[in-house]
Amino acid sequence: MPRRIHWPLIVSFAFLAVVIGVLVAGGLWVQSTVANSFLDAERIGTARLLVEEVLRRQLDEETGIRGYAVARRATLLQPYYEARTALPATITRVMGVLENLHLQSAVAALEDAARTNRRWLQEVAVPLLASRSSRPALQFRGKRLVDRVRTDIASIETLLAGREAGSRLRAQQAVAWVDLFAIGAISAFLVAALIFAFQQYRLGLRVEEERTKAEEQRRRSAENRAAYVAEKRIADTLQRAFVQNVLPEPAMLRLGATYLPAAEEAKVGGDWYDALELPDDRVLLAIGDVTGHGIEAAVTMNRTRQLLISCALIDPNPGPVLERVNNELMRNESPMVTAIAALVNARDCEVAYAAAGHPPAVLLEPGKRARLLEVGSLPLGVLRDAAYQTHRVRSTAGALLVLYTDGAVEHSRDVVEGEELLLAAVESAAQASEADVAAAICHRIFADRKAADDVAILTLRFADGANGSTVIVEHDSQTLVAGGGRAGLV
Amino acid sequence: MNEGAIQTIRLAGELDLSRKREIRDAFALSNGARAVLLDLSEVVYADSTALTELLRFCAMAQGANIPIAILIAAPQFLRLVQYAGLATAFKVFQERDEALRYLSECAGT
Repeated sequence: MPRRIHWPLIVSFAFLAVVIGVLVAGGLWVQSTVANSFLDAERIGTARLLVEEVLRRQLDEETGIRGYAVARRATLLQPYYEARTALPATITRVMGVLENLHLQSAVAALEDAARTNRRWLQEVAVPLLASRSSRPALQFRGKRLVDRVRTDIASIETLLAGREAGSRLRAQQAVAWVDLFAIGAISAFLVAALIFAFQQYRLGLRVEEERTKAEEQRRRSAENRAAYVAEKRIADTLQRAFVQNVLPEPAMLRLGATYLPAAEEAKVGGDWYDALELPDDRVLLAIGDVTGHGIEAAVTMNRTRQLLISCALIDPNPGPVLERVNNELMRNESPMVTAIAALVNARDCEVAYAAAGHPPAVLLEPGKRARLLEVGSLPLGVLRDAAYQTHRVRSTAGALLVLYTDGAVEHSRDVVEGEELLLAAVESAAQASEADVAAAICHRIFADRKAADDVAILTLRFADGANGSTVIVEHDSQTLVAGGGRAGLV
Repeated sequence: MNEGAIQTIRLAGELDLSRKREIRDAFALSNGARAVLLDLSEVVYADSTALTELLRFCAMAQGANIPIAILIAAPQFLRLVQYAGLATAFKVFQERDEALRYLSECAGT
């Protein structure tokens, strides 16, 4: 594309260069022609003056000799002698000028005149000076020789005049060329200007086109940005509305929760937690995470929460709750959801829970290390009629149960490392007996770092009292061992 | 059953949203495949998007009665698929030979 833009410019530059070259050469030619013509004129002028001098001196010689022949007085010979002495030098000078003018025929005529003059001197002047009489025959011969000299001189003058006229004509013609050059130059510049103007116009069109395109892009990206901001705002609003701010305060239990939104705006997702007080000192805890982000995730999250609570109100047994929720979600091609539902009995410190593809809950009992509770069932919304097992843990008073979403253990992308960090954070936060355990755990994991994904943490502490702690697996299904479980869901 | 009828799907590294297209393209049953070996021995991480694709593919293969063996080696990824119940619902192996033996047995019966 740029090449196609540039070639007319290159052509016009080359054209201008050629035109300027021709103009410069022509100008030099005109200048030298006119200068030559001036030089010629000067030389011709000099030649004329010298030729006149030749004539005058020749006349002086002749009149001197003629007068002497009649009167025989020596004083009359004065001009003759002067002329005779000066004439050869004058002729040499004329010769030089004529040779400079390259007028060969004039040179020949001058040579003839010089020769004739010498003959006149030898054959007429010298004998007349020696003779006593006027010798009419000799004088007649002298007149003929003088006439011949004059004819030669006249022919030289004619040749000079012709040369002058020719030289002037050449100069005039050369000057006439100047007009042509001027017209040529003006035309060339006009053509070049036209090409430039056309190029400028085309470039202008392109610039305009680019500008329009850029504006269109800006507009589109602004629209996208606006749409993104709008979606983000909606998702945020939904998310805020869904996060439970006020937790119930059941007897013998202390609940706490924290929610840390993702650092990246776009990553605000579908994490949630719920705590629902039930009769007989029981509490249903639920925590979950919808795959994906934005409005769809927020809407799915809300639907799953409502389903979960509705199912729990019918029968709070966690396994069957998740099975029902899963089948409901499967009916509506929902995104994948991971969750844990836990039914906590405050009277005997029992936790019954079922997990669906969710990271394991942490249990910290007094005097023991924090540990991860067993998990290992498919997320919700993957397989119809998937089975969800209810695990039962008999804990003790003062124990701390921590539910969380994957952001709390996947921040480094190494889950094993993430789990270790989480367990240490739970132990540390529990020891410090801070009022808000959930926030303390979150702070110990992230310190001042930003979370890449949303993080929700829900904690439950049993009030002081005493009870044993054992895991009982309900149903008769096999114990689940990682890597060895049989596909028992069909 | 000959080896040719076992479709091998191999993925490696960290599976996340940025590789969604590649992952989705990889998780496709080829025509005539009678068993699938999912070689994830070099995978160290999968985000929820990638896990969704993985789980949906496994569920689809199971629904089509095509035996599927999943090969996983990295401990941190093994932990992730344990969360996800992959090992509960499907066959997960840490050794290639065992995985191939399982697929052969499935074809034999």
